[in-house]
Amino acid sequence: MLEVRKLSAGYGNDIVLRDVDLTVAPGEIVALIGANGAGKSTLVKCLSGLLPPRGGTITLDGERIDGLSARACVLRGVCLVPEGRQTFGGLTIDANLRLGAYVHSQLDEASVQNLIDESCRPFPALLPRRDEPCANLSGGQQQMLAVARGLMSKPKALMLDEPSLGLAPALVSEIFRLIADLRGRGLAILLSEQNARQSLAISDRAYVIENGRIVACGTSKDILASSDVAEKYLGVGHKIGDPKSAKQTIMTARLRKIMGVP
Amino acid sequence: MSSFIQILIGGLLQGGVFAAVALGFSLVYRVTGVINLSQGAFCVLGAMAMYYFEVAFHWPTALAAVLSVLSVAAFGVAVGAATFVPAVARLPVSSTLVLTAGLLTFFEGVALIVWGNQPYALPPFSGQAPVAVGPLRIPTQGLWLAGGIAAMIAALWLLVNRTALGRALQACADNAMAARLMGIDTRRMMLLSFTLAAAIGATSGLLVAPITSLQFDSGGFFTTSGFIAVAIGGMGSFAGSIVGGLVLGIAEQFAAYYVSSLFANTLALLLLMFMLLWRPQGLFASGPVRRLDVRADSLVHRALVRLSGRRALAVGVTLLIVLVAIPQLPLPNDVLSSLTISLILFIAVLGLDVLMGWTGQVSLGQAGFMAVGGYAAAILSTTYEWPPLAGVLAAMAISVVCALALSMVTGRLRGHYLALATLTFGLLIDSLTVGLVDLTGGPSGLVGIPSFAVGAFEFDTTERMFYLALGLSAVLVLLLEGGMRSQFGRALQAVRSDQLAAAALGVNVGWIKVSALCISAALASLAGSLYAFNFHFLSPEMVATPRSFEMIAMLVLGGEGTLLGGLFGALVLTLLPTLVQSLALYKTATTGALLVATFLFMPEGLFGRFAIWLSRLGGAGRTRSSGAAIETTAQ
Amino acid sequence: MTPALDIRNVSRRFGGLLAVDDVSFSVAQGGLSALIGPNGAGKTTLFNCVTNLFPPTAGSVRFFGQPLARLDGHRIAELGLVRTFQTARVFPGMTVLENALCGAQMHVRTSPLAQMFRTPGARSEERRLRDKAEALLDLIGLTPFSDAAATDLPMGAQKNLEVVRALMSRPRMLLLDEPAAGLNDSETADLAALLTAIRDVGITIMVVEHNMSLVMGIADQVIVLDAGKCVAIGAPAAIQSDPKVINAYVGSDG
Repeated sequence: MLEVRKLSAGYGNDIVLRDVDLTVAPGEIVALIGANGAGKSTLVKCLSGLLPPRGGTITLDGERIDGLSARACVLRGVCLVPEGRQTFGGLTIDANLRLGAYVHSQLDEASVQNLIDESCRPFPALLPRRDEPCANLSGGQQQMLAVARGLMSKPKALMLDEPSLGLAPALVSEIFRLIADLRGRGLAILLSEQNARQSLAISDRAYVIENGRIVACGTSKDILASSDVAEKYLGVGHKIGDPKSAKQTIMTARLRKIMGVP
Repeated sequence: MSSFIQILIGGLLQGGVFAAVALGFSLVYRVTGVINLSQGAFCVLGAMAMYYFEVAFHWPTALAAVLSVLSVAAFGVAVGAATFVPAVARLPVSSTLVLTAGLLTFFEGVALIVWGNQPYALPPFSGQAPVAVGPLRIPTQGLWLAGGIAAMIAALWLLVNRTALGRALQACADNAMAARLMGIDTRRMMLLSFTLAAAIGATSGLLVAPITSLQFDSGGFFTTSGFIAVAIGGMGSFAGSIVGGLVLGIAEQFAAYYVSSLFANTLALLLLMFMLLWRPQGLFASGPVRRLDVRADSLVHRALVRLSGRRALAVGVTLLIVLVAIPQLPLPNDVLSSLTISLILFIAVLGLDVLMGWTGQVSLGQAGFMAVGGYAAAILSTTYEWPPLAGVLAAMAISVVCALALSMVTGRLRGHYLALATLTFGLLIDSLTVGLVDLTGGPSGLVGIPSFAVGAFEFDTTERMFYLALGLSAVLVLLLEGGMRSQFGRALQAVRSDQLAAAALGVNVGWIKVSALCISAALASLAGSLYAFNFHFLSPEMVATPRSFEMIAMLVLGGEGTLLGGLFGALVLTLLPTLVQSLALYKTATTGALLVATFLFMPEGLFGRFAIWLSRLGGAGRTRSSGAAIETTAQ
Repeated sequence: MTPALDIRNVSRRFGGLLAVDDVSFSVAQGGLSALIGPNGAGKTTLFNCVTNLFPPTAGSVRFFGQPLARLDGHRIAELGLVRTFQTARVFPGMTVLENALCGAQMHVRTSPLAQMFRTPGARSEERRLRDKAEALLDLIGLTPFSDAAATDLPMGAQKNLEVVRALMSRPRMLLLDEPAAGLNDSETADLAALLTAIRDVGITIMVVEHNMSLVMGIADQVIVLDAGKCVAIGAPAAIQSDPKVINAYVGSDG
């Protein structure tokens, strides 16, 4: 069980996350949805030890992991599949997979082979190409490799940051289907996505994050039903900026004067 | 024919050493993204350890060799953990590069303290008698060298390509963030690469020491050669390092035999310049292409050093009054002459500040322009009997032409390559000042240079030279202060911190860099001329590449981007060894150590620190308090 | 009337990935267009194509009728096309005011030498630019911080400063990459007023933006990218109800 309590985090003078509470139980897929810049990536960075939080706690099965290094987090079983895939382009697929199990240096060759077979089972296309450089793979295949590489670390909690990023619509559905298939492994899966509808469709529960705060949480079905996603994302019925306001008139007049435009 | 093969073998042996140093460069560069200029010094440290274990302590050769490599590696771990790795994590890449130049100076200084300035040769591992193969005679040590280096390359290849540790090293080179997510401790990998490179350097050093005698500053030679090799082969490419090293070794041997040994180095450097122009990525390009729209240097944040106009004026006037009064005080003559030297060097450091501090272009060749200025003015006023003033002005023009020519090479280069092109330029000038004996007097120097004079007024006493240097520095500081506080200075700073954003605002980045380089070259040239007139003598080592490193240390110690800071740096590094004679032996080591320590602990420099302190004083800490105000409004 | 920006069949390939795929549209003079689409759709890459940071692998871009092919970044800015960046790129080590002044670089008429000698011409030019920069900083409420280090500002203020810096260069058209990222609602409202005012003084604007409320409030044309392709162009109201856009944004039901 991955538990986050009152987490806050930021960069420099900016506070990006405030008082975030979140839990992910083993065997469930939890979606974290929100617009770009809402704080999704910052949250998963804190969870994976890339960014030390400013406050609050993170625990995995009751053990505090906040403030630990990325290595310590991987060792305890928290693994992040980062945004933009971040595979090792210059190395072979095989080397990429083996690096995923880097923290398990005590494993013998047979166990590593087993682990590779096990991790690639959902992605059979990868195995026959094991000795090719990873840069030869398409975007969708690289995403699959990134997930398989994550599984190599034998995680208890797996976080996927924007797995659909930059993929063509047909591939997006494929990736989500594969993620849904991971449910049977007993992992706690946190799926951070801006593709709300598909991530809600495959997840059990969901959190909605806005401006660094959790603004809604519940079962995915409820979230899908309760909030009109179109309204949330496409701003229907809510506009910022009024060309006829007095404030606007003053602003325009001042700028006109500064820029020397009649 | 047999001499041809003999030379080829000599070239291969020489090239093997270069290849080993180049491998060290590539290894560290791939994992950290930094060229470690101290690489060559590990060769000397290895040979030095070997000398003590084998010759002084009379231990068996094999034991001595193993212990030497281990002790240098241990030293590498300590130095790497204390300086290099924190620098890679905290500092901009350009600063880290300069920091490694400081490490090189520091290591040379340590070798000077321990070894003195005598060359040392080690006994060959197995007897003096060479092995005869047909008509060829090969020294046995050559076989040891070739075998040792081949074994080392094989071991490194196995380590990188066949072990989990090697895979982790490659992962750090490929994508450091993803490597961290895999549980790889990237800082430990950086330290490992630095240590391995130190061990490689030590091994090649102790293998080659019986063939070439080494002295405390041979590290610079190895760094230069290894760097030329790696630049030819391709930065970060292991195959490229080996090929580059061998090509360079063979080319140098043939050039020395068929052309002249004085010009062997010149030809190698010309080869490199050509490579930088034709194919800057080297023969074997390596590594992923970096994205341009992400800031190249993520660690560009620096302290804001600003003095209000009135405070700056007060500081300047106070300083000027003190300096004007100094010759009237009862001081020993060598103090005044060393103050004069400080002021002359300060003029060159001012130029360096415009280029490095304000425009962010690392130059490792500032002494090269000093040499051009010094020799041109000296030759014009001796051989051609020009009036000194005309000589100085003509020399400045020549230097600016050199700068323009150099910028044709550097114009297409970015980051490291640019710094390395300036280093190449400095080394090229070094080799020319030594090689063009008829013009420059060669290694023994140029004598009989007259005193500087304007019309009939001769600056023939220390006091007059002091006031001349002081007057020129004051005028230059005033002019540059004006330039730096207006749009020109802002354009320079924009280029320094973010070239892409600057270009997006219409700043002609290329033009700005060329202007900064020309200003820098002109001031270095002026300083070089004054230097020659001051001593009535000029020799290559007075204006050689170590001088470039020393001036960088002065600038960094005083504070980059502060103009006046360089004066304090020059005073500390010139006056202290004069005042305390016993310090002279430690000067090189201290210069290097100060440079490294300043980067790590006081990146704003002495004067920068003072300026920050002064601007907080009275003005109620304007930056600090407004920062706090921003925090509160942001809540 | 010639469009301010005319993008014809532009594609950009990175290795095996087609980041921008045959995109065509134009932005009318004096218009305010918004480029939207999910993360990774190719919006910033398109900006980079227009400003030749990554020149397009196919297609052409014209600015007020002039082709931009093979022009350097600073030449494009000199034509009057000025961009900002996704993460604010204020110049570190400089104050807020100095950052704003940097924007005026290409209109400086006095030589560096004149500035060094502080000639009357250089001093009056400096004063004039300073007054303008201060007035612009006052407009966005940054006057109290004009002597602070620009990197000490919160991200939102840094993005505003970038807009001011761009305005100092007297552009004909601004390309703004996510100006509202990291702003809260009231700051976004201020930004909306600023952008509208900029448009009203005759400067054409194209923004990449994720904040739909802002886009719907101020844009007169919306271009939607998805996986490198242009999937819709139109007025904000029409875009909101376009099923292709909803699919691109929140995903299809399948």
